[in-house]
Amino acid sequence: MYKYDSIDQTLVDQRVSQFREQVGRRLNGALGEDEFKPLRLQNGLYLQRHAYMLRVAIPYGLLSSDQLRALAAISEKYDRGYGHFTTRQNIQFNWVSLEETPNILAELAKVEMHAIQTSGNCIRNITSDAYAGVAADEYVDPRPICELLRQWSTLHPEFAHLPRKFKFAINGAKEDRTVLLCHDVGIELNINAAGELLVDLYAGGGMGRTPILGALIKQGLPWQLLPSYLTALLRTYNRFGRRDNLYKARIKILVKALGPEEFARQVETEWSHIKHGDDHFTIAEWDRVAQYFTKPAYKTLTQVPLNDVIDIAPDQDRAHFTRWLERNIRPHQVPGYVSVLLSLKPHGTVAPGDATTAQMLAIADLADLYSFGELRVTHEQNLVLADVEQSQLLSLWQAAKNHFIALPNIGLLTDIIACPGGDFCSLANAKSLPIAKAIQERFDDLDYLFDLGGISLNISGCINSCGHHHVGNIGILGVDKDGQEWYQITLGGEQGYAAAIGKVIGPAFSADDIPDVIARIINSYVDQRLDGETFIQAFSRLGMPPFKEAAYQQISKLKIASQERGA
Amino acid sequence: MMAQSKHILSFPKDGKPALIPNEWQICYAGAENEDLLHSDWGVHKVLLPFSWWQAHFNSGNTSSALVAKVKQGHIGVWFSAEEDILQHSALIETGKSLWPIVASHFPIFRDGRSFSTAALLRERFQWQGEVRAIGDVLIDQLIQGARVGFDAFDLRPDQSLDTALQQLNVFPVSMQNSWRNKRTLIEAHADRFLKS
Repeated sequence: MYKYDSIDQTLVDQRVSQFREQVGRRLNGALGEDEFKPLRLQNGLYLQRHAYMLRVAIPYGLLSSDQLRALAAISEKYDRGYGHFTTRQNIQFNWVSLEETPNILAELAKVEMHAIQTSGNCIRNITSDAYAGVAADEYVDPRPICELLRQWSTLHPEFAHLPRKFKFAINGAKEDRTVLLCHDVGIELNINAAGELLVDLYAGGGMGRTPILGALIKQGLPWQLLPSYLTALLRTYNRFGRRDNLYKARIKILVKALGPEEFARQVETEWSHIKHGDDHFTIAEWDRVAQYFTKPAYKTLTQVPLNDVIDIAPDQDRAHFTRWLERNIRPHQVPGYVSVLLSLKPHGTVAPGDATTAQMLAIADLADLYSFGELRVTHEQNLVLADVEQSQLLSLWQAAKNHFIALPNIGLLTDIIACPGGDFCSLANAKSLPIAKAIQERFDDLDYLFDLGGISLNISGCINSCGHHHVGNIGILGVDKDGQEWYQITLGGEQGYAAAIGKVIGPAFSADDIPDVIARIINSYVDQRLDGETFIQAFSRLGMPPFKEAAYQQISKLKIASQERGA
Repeated sequence: MMAQSKHILSFPKDGKPALIPNEWQICYAGAENEDLLHSDWGVHKVLLPFSWWQAHFNSGNTSSALVAKVKQGHIGVWFSAEEDILQHSALIETGKSLWPIVASHFPIFRDGRSFSTAALLRERFQWQGEVRAIGDVLIDQLIQGARVGFDAFDLRPDQSLDTALQQLNVFPVSMQNSWRNKRTLIEAHADRFLKS
């Protein structure tokens, strides 16, 4: 994993001093709140309903065990004993104080971490495939490019005050596990016949109020030219993106207004003036960064058939262990190894993606014991031990069970993605955590969940869509009508290269009705599915009507009418 | 319509930041303003809105007083954040020999368009003279501004100039090429680290 050089360390240390000085000016009144706000946001500090919240970057989802220990220590010392892993490979602390934030940042800097640009109208934390460098379906390890772009985007002077936030996702695998098409810029890496690393760029994707999938605007860009091309792209956005309306300020609105072809043409024109300059990544820079992403010291093993892995489990554990293997294991590039998902979605959890101080410490130990001291954060808010020997799976499972991170529900209905919602977030229209909890409790039967198979359910507490509801097979969006919390349901959303934005099923439901409504939608699927057909496949075949009909059964017309009037 | 602060923060590309007396008044007139044509400019150096210059200079109505001031090097222009300077290449190229300085305006501190304007003035137009930041210019925009192409800052009157001066040496390293310097390379940095 990447190690800071003296440049990285100097920059991060100076950023801490700079913020300490800015906080000092805020506290002595020299800096007003309106003018301090963008400064604190660009250091990840939000003012939420109850307290300040600090969002710390986990660049492209990669974390060392020592970094996780540092996060655990921060959660204990400055917060209330837990942290929340987000849908963009960050971790959030919900209960920090303004005065202490510079100290937290100083502690992070000691373990080569920061909160730079985790919020604000700038280039945000760069996200990537949680299985980068190990995924069996990978054709390029995206991590060197991720790190080069992390550096390039850090404190970029020209793009410090963009019209709105700007998110990069980077993928180098056959499958897309980054929600690439829902990013302001999606960067897809591939290797051509001559062995050269090339980049395809998608621009103008995003969720929020106007969900749009990104459009391909550039193909076959040599990786060295990324700085000049991205400068042209961001400059075009910085100059012409809308600044008159917060809700129309994302690049997707500009790309849509111009059309992807015209946007691409404008970027190309700007780029034509700068592409022959010297603003390129060099082979030396690649080598300096890539040396940290070489393979760990894998043993030479042979792939063990799954049945042999299962057979070593004691009789009484075998059924549970088998289930865990079925849901929480991903294939690896190296024979005899797999990647393991630790579920941060125990049923009835306070918040999907939460980990307590004790869990973080335990997981750090597991990473040291079983996975070369490294782990990954998925955008689904779970953790991954990327390099586990098959022969160690049983003992890892047994250890993980003790810390309540071994539930075999990855990719199942209760592996819910959810934002912190109205319990914490000052932007939210409605709570999302109690909805997630109610659904998990309603479907707290693993036999049934396994029978239902893969299905994604995502919840956002407002249209900003931090809970990625637009791309959930089932999406739930909290809305406010006359001061009451209501929930709109979308169906048919999907992530990956077949990404699709879910469609709204109809009038919103009350919180109390949601578990029943979900149950009726699920029953409708169970009744109509063909052999082996997943929920999303059945939805594609059958369309909205049967699910819609099921959802509104038993919802009194009166209730719908009353909230439609309210709308 | 006219504004002039006492001091500006000057930070020449290869020099050190310093507070110096301000010689330039900023004229905030609209492009349609006809009265300006007949203004008595006195001894002041004036930054006119670029849009006004575009509408009136060479219009035939230009007063001889204004022409004289231009010849003296007492007239510069400022670009609004909305201005797409690439649409006015010919005027700006001509302006290189007329305006001793240009400025770019921040309508509000969090509007970053003028960062790109400054970068384009340096990169595309090879503007060698001063590029001044005007408008809602705050202490915490200086670092970015100084890197993209500004070398003078007319700060909002309530800003502490002493605090402002201290900002410009906060970061001894950078991760991007910019007008002021190339990104820090590890070889150079390691050398300096060892020597210091």
